[in-house]
Amino acid sequence: MRTYVARKLLTYALTFFVAVTIDWAIPRFMPGDPVQGLISRMQAQPGSAHALTGYYTKAFGLDVPAWKQYLNFWAALVHGDLGVSVWQYPRPVTDLIVEAAPYTLALLIPAILLSFFAGNKVGAMAARRKVLDNTVLPLGYVLTATPYMWLALVLAYVFGSVTRVLPISGAYSYSLQPGWTLDFALSFMRYWILPFASLFLVGFGGWAIGMRNMIIYELEADYAHYLEALGAPRRLIRRYAYRNALLPQITGLALALGAVLAGALVTEVVFNYPGVGSLVLTAIQNRDYFLLQGIFLCIIVGVLIANFIVDIAYVLIDPRTRIGMQGHQ
Amino acid sequence: MFTSRKRRVAVGLSVLAVAAVAVVASVGVGGAAARTAKPATAAAGLPRDTTLYTTGTQWGTYSDLNPFKTWDYVTGLVGLVYEPMFNYNPLKDKYTPWLATKGSWIQKNVYRATIRTGVTWSDGKPLTPADVKFTFETGKIATATFHQLWTSGLKSITTKGNDVTFTFSTTPNYQEFNGYLYNIAIVPQHVWKRYTPDQITSGNLASTKQMVGTGPYTYGSGLNSKQSFTWKKRSGWWATGVYGLNPKPQYIVDIFNGSNNASLANLLAGNIDLSNNFVPGINTKVGSKITTYYPSAPYMLSGNTAWLVPNLTRAPLSDVQFRHALAASIDVNKIVEADYGHIVSPANPTGLLPVWKKYIDNSMVQKYGFTFDVSKAKSILAAAGYKDTNGDGYVENKDGSTLNLSLIVPNGWSDWMTAIQIIADSAKAAGIKITPTYPDYNTLVDDRGHGNYDLVINNDQQIGNTPWTYYNYMFRLPLSDNQTTVNYERYNNPAAWALTQQLDKVNTVPAMQKITSQLQSIFLQDLPLIPLWYNGVWAQANTGHWKSWPTVSSSKLQTLPAMWRGYLQMGGINMISNLQPGK
Amino acid sequence: MTTAPVGRVRHELIYVARHNTKLMIGAGFVLAMLVLALVGPFLTSQAPLAFGGDLQQAPSSAHWFGTTTNGQDVFSQFVYGLRASFIVGTLGGGLAALIGMLVGFVAGYRGGIIDEILTMLTNVVLVIPTLAVLITIAAYVTTRGFVTEAIFIGATSWPWAARAVRAQTFSLVSREFVDVARLSGRRSWKIIATEIAPNMSSYLLMMFILLFGGAILIGATLDFIGLGPSNAISLGLMMNNAVLWSALLLGTWWWFIPPGLGIVAIVGGLYVMNVGLDEVFNPRLREM
Repeated sequence: MRTYVARKLLTYALTFFVAVTIDWAIPRFMPGDPVQGLISRMQAQPGSAHALTGYYTKAFGLDVPAWKQYLNFWAALVHGDLGVSVWQYPRPVTDLIVEAAPYTLALLIPAILLSFFAGNKVGAMAARRKVLDNTVLPLGYVLTATPYMWLALVLAYVFGSVTRVLPISGAYSYSLQPGWTLDFALSFMRYWILPFASLFLVGFGGWAIGMRNMIIYELEADYAHYLEALGAPRRLIRRYAYRNALLPQITGLALALGAVLAGALVTEVVFNYPGVGSLVLTAIQNRDYFLLQGIFLCIIVGVLIANFIVDIAYVLIDPRTRIGMQGHQ
Repeated sequence: MFTSRKRRVAVGLSVLAVAAVAVVASVGVGGAAARTAKPATAAAGLPRDTTLYTTGTQWGTYSDLNPFKTWDYVTGLVGLVYEPMFNYNPLKDKYTPWLATKGSWIQKNVYRATIRTGVTWSDGKPLTPADVKFTFETGKIATATFHQLWTSGLKSITTKGNDVTFTFSTTPNYQEFNGYLYNIAIVPQHVWKRYTPDQITSGNLASTKQMVGTGPYTYGSGLNSKQSFTWKKRSGWWATGVYGLNPKPQYIVDIFNGSNNASLANLLAGNIDLSNNFVPGINTKVGSKITTYYPSAPYMLSGNTAWLVPNLTRAPLSDVQFRHALAASIDVNKIVEADYGHIVSPANPTGLLPVWKKYIDNSMVQKYGFTFDVSKAKSILAAAGYKDTNGDGYVENKDGSTLNLSLIVPNGWSDWMTAIQIIADSAKAAGIKITPTYPDYNTLVDDRGHGNYDLVINNDQQIGNTPWTYYNYMFRLPLSDNQTTVNYERYNNPAAWALTQQLDKVNTVPAMQKITSQLQSIFLQDLPLIPLWYNGVWAQANTGHWKSWPTVSSSKLQTLPAMWRGYLQMGGINMISNLQPGK
Repeated sequence: MTTAPVGRVRHELIYVARHNTKLMIGAGFVLAMLVLALVGPFLTSQAPLAFGGDLQQAPSSAHWFGTTTNGQDVFSQFVYGLRASFIVGTLGGGLAALIGMLVGFVAGYRGGIIDEILTMLTNVVLVIPTLAVLITIAAYVTTRGFVTEAIFIGATSWPWAARAVRAQTFSLVSREFVDVARLSGRRSWKIIATEIAPNMSSYLLMMFILLFGGAILIGATLDFIGLGPSNAISLGLMMNNAVLWSALLLGTWWWFIPPGLGIVAIVGGLYVMNVGLDEVFNPRLREM
């Protein structure tokens, strides 16, 4: 077990290093000078443009050669400093990300977890009841094939424009400020429900279909027929099947993260939700290298951590993997 | 064995759940509550009837409380908190004494202003001429936005009694100086003397306690918020006694809307009172509840000119005849109708805004001005030697090579993207091939600055006190490697630039008209830029909770209807003061 | 290997396939959309990006899907958009499948250090937020077309395919017929191509279908946030434009409902087809 964890950590560390290097490099491949973009927005007078360019280039550390910028980046990273934003100069990148992150996490985590649990449960139920299967099956396929932004648009249209029961823009009422009050909490929930629903529904469909198919697959496996032949109760067989079907679903959970992140981004765009997704778009539009780097870095770290957690959980659930990894072929 | 397996499943999944909750909890606590500054107003909702909700100015978090960062400060900072010496109304071409009671050129190069007595800063200290001197002297810092003032002749500023005197060493640039009079917000020396030059020119100065101004509002809540910012009315505003201005909104909440779409939704629902966004399709909604400055086309006041900017260093755009043909081939009315639903208007051939009507020499326009005329475009092309030699419907260059001009606008600016498609379509009828392209904004800025483009649409220069800003935009020399703010078309006409500099140095309407007439003669004949349409000062308001919005139908309410930066002192503050509760 | 049993197996497969409801329904939707994509453009007279006279009209006999705020015909945009989606799906999914198979086969067959390196590569590409990379790259390229978009998508969505192929290859590599082939001195590539891949053919087909659907979704997402091709039309771009022009609020539902439905039909059809194919290839799953 220890060697497994150690090996995994080493792999993750290496992956982290490579990913961070790519993360640093990619924004710099984008054409367009961020400093010029900033100065153009300042509508500065021609006389000052030169002095301003020099000032900001120095302020962002862009006046040193690329390899030096790379080293500076790692040095700052060790101190937890992700640099200063170009677009919102002089605010630190960490501040901007920390402000936006709670909103995205508030959408993502409940959506991922609830759609996983609910989807798997309903999928398993559908696998054994034909009546339920006939409604769940087509519904699940439609939902999982629905692009996130389209579902968001439809929900916004139905509940926001036509019936006007729910708000479709922002994270809380304009007359409030964030704080630990009941008013704010209620307002937050009202604004949260639609973006959450669009992320949840698509995920739900996917997990339900996946689980249903996996259960059917398992129920057709040799051991299931064998148990049935032995006279074991159906519930017992189904319980085994469920456990076995759950394993690939958990692996799928780690893989699905990327898709859900993308979904969260477009959902935030449709609902004008002030999360990391909106921040990414604005960063790109403003060629904010440092903000982009910082966000991507956080996403990479988050995905790595999530993968690691899933790996550990997988090992805890399935003893076969532990046995498998101790001996090598 | 089953139970232990079950337990493992439970443990595994709860590891997931716990980790997730822990992350959310810690980040959430750190993020939401701690980062926003402590609100001065209660977290409970604000009273709807005395709160004004605006949107359409802010495009980032509400973090910048520095009035010198004129592209970035929190909406309303200048106008509601900090104020300039004068206000200016472009619709009437009138300067209203504001923190100054009067100002004039007592000599050709000496300007004296008298500062109003009895004005107190929000911390109780009195406004003095020393504050004005201090404010203008921050311009000495090399990275200050108005540093140019000090490099173009201002020698010294002195104070005596209630007066501030600006002494120039040469003939001042009157036109520019007039602009500074209403654009530079006066800051309190006793607070700002502690700031370093860096902080003054590029810092956010995000301390609400040190945000000390003379204006009618003060900090409510929302610093560093990404969603909204609240101003709270304070008592003791000097203009109440002097001009009878007493704004009714107790709170002004400015909202950051990530999309024009969301802005419209909230406007229609009455959650927002004033939207200064560009909202396509708003013309279909104007009626009893939604109001704009004009009740029918063009609905909006003209705020800036959208130009078709050709790169004059490239053939065939360097050929003046080709430019005339191009200008004659563009169907601007189609853009106005199909793209904008008539919320914009076609531009005058000189490109000058309607508020500068008196500087437009109509005889020049008659003589040299271009109009939309496809057959004329064709004949100009033919006469200039552009022929369609291969029968594909498009003319070729004089040397026979393919003529294909790319026209760029930023990707995502949907109305401009549609506009250039219409331009390409109408140019096709005259035989000119134009290919619409949509690079990203920053790429476009780069290419435009370095002269790596054929045609681009631009509307940088805004409404203001003088057409000099437009001529500076058109003619400024010398050219450099990277044209960052003006003369994108790289027009090299020393005579025109000399006239423009002359224009800067005169200060009476007749003197200005004499020069603008000459400038227009040059412009209309040479056509270095092609004016297309006037973009509006976008403003649509919901009359549900507030009424008496700016409108052309009442003389008192003829003010600029925007909260945009630089617009509050051009009439926005009057708009707010004129508002009446809706019920 | 005699031919008669193979022929009979193929006959049986086709029979089962034709009677599998899921496969038929799924394929039906996809084919319907494909036909519409091929034939549709001949049914409309107005080019998708041309500005007609009727602004913001609801669906009518003149404009089957209505018009946009600027007077463009929505049906025309829809059918041309379908074409674009199919192109992106085929090219993007195909490229991802190719790379995935390449990496997966080599890693699974060779094992050892090569496997470690390729797995590391796969993990790195997997962990990097693909949409973020796509956004950045797409912003880099000044002239964007559907082909370039498909290439980006293909180059970033192969990791899970590689993993899946690798896992399957592992299980096949240990089988006897592979050892026999090795003993006979066949070269690795030939072994992979002639022994391993055919045994996974059904699996590879289903994998391609999933990649195809995935590529369409990613393409639509990229288009929706404004990073799609500039001077063209696609289903994602239709939705993007609809939002930019306030369709939600001005009530022009006909602008954004059809493109989404189109994607749901294609991708949903593909997923259903996939499950049906699984049942056809795996006799155990058939619900007889």
